[in-house]
Amino acid sequence: MNKLYIFLKYFFIVVWTVFVVAPFLWALTTSFKDFQSVNGGVTYIPWVDFEPNLEGWKVLIKSPAKGGVDIIEPYFNSLFVTCTASLISIILGTLSAYALSRYTFKAGFVKNNDITFFFISQRIMPPIVLSIPFFLFLSSINLLDSLTGLIVVYIVLLMPIAVWIMVDFFNKVPREIDETALIDGCNPYQAFLKVVLPNSIPGLIVAGMFCIIFGWIDFFFAFILTFTEVQLLPVKIVALNSSVTPWWSLSASALVSVAPLIIVAFIVERYLSKGNLSGAIK
Amino acid sequence: MAKIGLSNISHSYNPNDPNPVYALNPFSMTWENGNRYAILGPSGCGKTTMLNIVSGLVRPSVGRILFDDKDVTDLKTEDRNIAQVFQFPVIYNTMTVYENLAFPLKCRDFSKSKTDERVNSVAETLNLKSFLNSPARKLTADQKQLISLGRGLVREDVAAVLMDEPLTVIDPDLKFRLRRNLKEINEQYKTTLVYVTHDQNEAMTFADNIIVMSEGEVVQTGSPKELFERPNTTFVGYFIGSPAMNLFESEASSNDSVKINNTLIKTHTNLSNLKTKKIKLGIRSEFIKIAQNQNENLVDVNVEKVEDLGNYKLITAKLGDFTIKSKVTRETEIPSSKVKLHIPADRCCVYEDNKLI
Repeated sequence: MNKLYIFLKYFFIVVWTVFVVAPFLWALTTSFKDFQSVNGGVTYIPWVDFEPNLEGWKVLIKSPAKGGVDIIEPYFNSLFVTCTASLISIILGTLSAYALSRYTFKAGFVKNNDITFFFISQRIMPPIVLSIPFFLFLSSINLLDSLTGLIVVYIVLLMPIAVWIMVDFFNKVPREIDETALIDGCNPYQAFLKVVLPNSIPGLIVAGMFCIIFGWIDFFFAFILTFTEVQLLPVKIVALNSSVTPWWSLSASALVSVAPLIIVAFIVERYLSKGNLSGAIK
Repeated sequence: MAKIGLSNISHSYNPNDPNPVYALNPFSMTWENGNRYAILGPSGCGKTTMLNIVSGLVRPSVGRILFDDKDVTDLKTEDRNIAQVFQFPVIYNTMTVYENLAFPLKCRDFSKSKTDERVNSVAETLNLKSFLNSPARKLTADQKQLISLGRGLVREDVAAVLMDEPLTVIDPDLKFRLRRNLKEINEQYKTTLVYVTHDQNEAMTFADNIIVMSEGEVVQTGSPKELFERPNTTFVGYFIGSPAMNLFESEASSNDSVKINNTLIKTHTNLSNLKTKKIKLGIRSEFIKIAQNQNENLVDVNVEKVEDLGNYKLITAKLGDFTIKSKVTRETEIPSSKVKLHIPADRCCVYEDNKLI
C-alpha cells in the first residue's frame, strides 16, 4: 500500500513536471531551429536531429530595416509600464485597503463591503467594455500612444487586485496591533507604517506578484491604446507573425517575455520556502 | 502617574439609534495614584469598554475623563501616556523581543542608554532576558503575552497600566508568580494598575480595590474584605465567594429580625423602614457554623451531603425548602443528619429589592 502510494506520488510528480517543462523545452529547441528544421518533420536534439542556429534570436534585436523586429525598446517599455503601474497600484491599493479594513464608511446604503466590491467589479467587466471609454478618455487628455497613458490605464486595472488582496489581508491582521501601537505612542500614520505594514509584507508580495503578472501579460489594452510611438512587448511579439509563421523567432520571444515572470516566481518561491509567507495565502 | 477620574461616564455603541443600547450606564469614580484596581464581572458586562474609554480607544458617549484633574476626554490615545495589555498576546511579529519591549520608548524618543536600562530591567522581571535577541514571533503564546506585558511596564511614567484579562493564556504556575511580580512592580514604582478579570480569585489576590460590574452597571467598589463581608447587592453576594452567598427569601418580622422557615433570625440591620416586608437574607457559608453553646439564631437543618474539599468541609443541608451551605474546618465532626447551625447576627446582610439595607 505504502509502496503504491510512493509510486503514484512520484508518477504524478513526473507527469506534472513533463507537462510544465515540455512547452519550455519545445520553445527552447525551436528557437534555435530554422525553416528547414521546423518544417522538415519532428526533430528534438540539437546537432543530432538538426543544426542549431541563432537566426530566431537575431531577428529580435535586428532593426526592422534589416528584416528584424527589435523588441529591446518595447521590452523596456513593458518593464517600465508594468513596474511603475504595479508600484503605484500597490501603494494606492494598500492605503485604500487599510482604510476599508479599519474605518467605517457610510454614504446612504453604500458601506465598506460595497466599496470593496466596487473595486473588484472593475475586474468582473469584460475588458472590451472598458476599451472605448479608455480610448476616449486618453484621447481627451492627449495621452493616447504614450507610456504615461498606459500607466494610467494599468493603474485602473491593477489597483482592484491590490485592494482586493490587501483588504482581506488587513482584515486578518488583528485590530489590537494598531491599538497597541497607538497606546505605545505612535500616531495613526506611524502605527500603519511601523507596525501594520511590516506585518503585511507577505500580503504586499502576493499583491505585487499578481499586479506584475497581470500588467506584464496584457495585450488587449496595449494593442488598442498605442499605435506607432510607443509599443509594448506583447504587441510587438504579435507583429512578428507573417504569412509564414516564424516559429523560431516566436519561440525566442516567448522565452524572453516569460523570463521576468520566472525571476519573480523564483524570488517569491525563495521567500515562501523560508516560511515568511505563511498565512499570506489561505 | 496620575489620578484618574471618571466623571458621569456612560457609553453606547449605537448612540444615534432611536433606542440606543448602553454598554456602560452612568457612573463616576476615581482611581487614586499608585493603587491596584481590579474590574470584576461576567463576560459582556462592560469591563473592556471601560478600559478602552480610559485608554482613549473609545470616546465615551457621555461624561469626562480626567487625568490629575486635566480633562483628557478628547485627547488621542497616543497622547494619553497609558499602557494597555490585551487578553491575547499582541506582539510586533517583525521585531525581536528587544525591539518589541523598546518600541514604546522609541516612539517617545528615549535615549539609547535609558532604553537599554529599562528593557533589561523589565526583561529580568519577566524572565525574558535570554530571548532578547530572538524574533518575537518564534516565542510560545505565554512568552508572547509576557512581551505584551513588558511593553506595558517598560515606561516608568505611565498614567496607568490597564490589563484586560492578561493572564488568560499563561499557565497557572507562572500566573501566580506574575501576579506577585505585578504587585511588586506596583509597590516599587507606584504605578497605577488596573486589572480586568472575570476570575474573583485573581481579583481578590491582586487588587486592593475591586470594582464589580454587571450588565453595564458598576454595582460595588470596595476592598476584597468589604465585597466579601458586605456585598451591596445580591449579585455581588452571588458572584463573589465560593460557594456563593446563601440567600433566603423571607419576611421581616420585627425591627431587626427576619423569619426563615418559622425560625426567627436576629440581624444587626434596622428593618423598620422597609417599603414591603419582602426581603432577602444573605449570609456567607464561611460564617455559618455548627451550634456549640449559642442560644439564639439557631436553625435545625437536614444534612444532604458533606464534601471534603481538602482544607475544609462543605456541608449542604436543607432548611425547609431552602438549601443552606456551611464551610467548616476539616476536623469538625458532623454528628448526624440533623444538626443545628448557628447564623451569627452581625454577619447577616438584609436585601430589599436585591440591594443591601
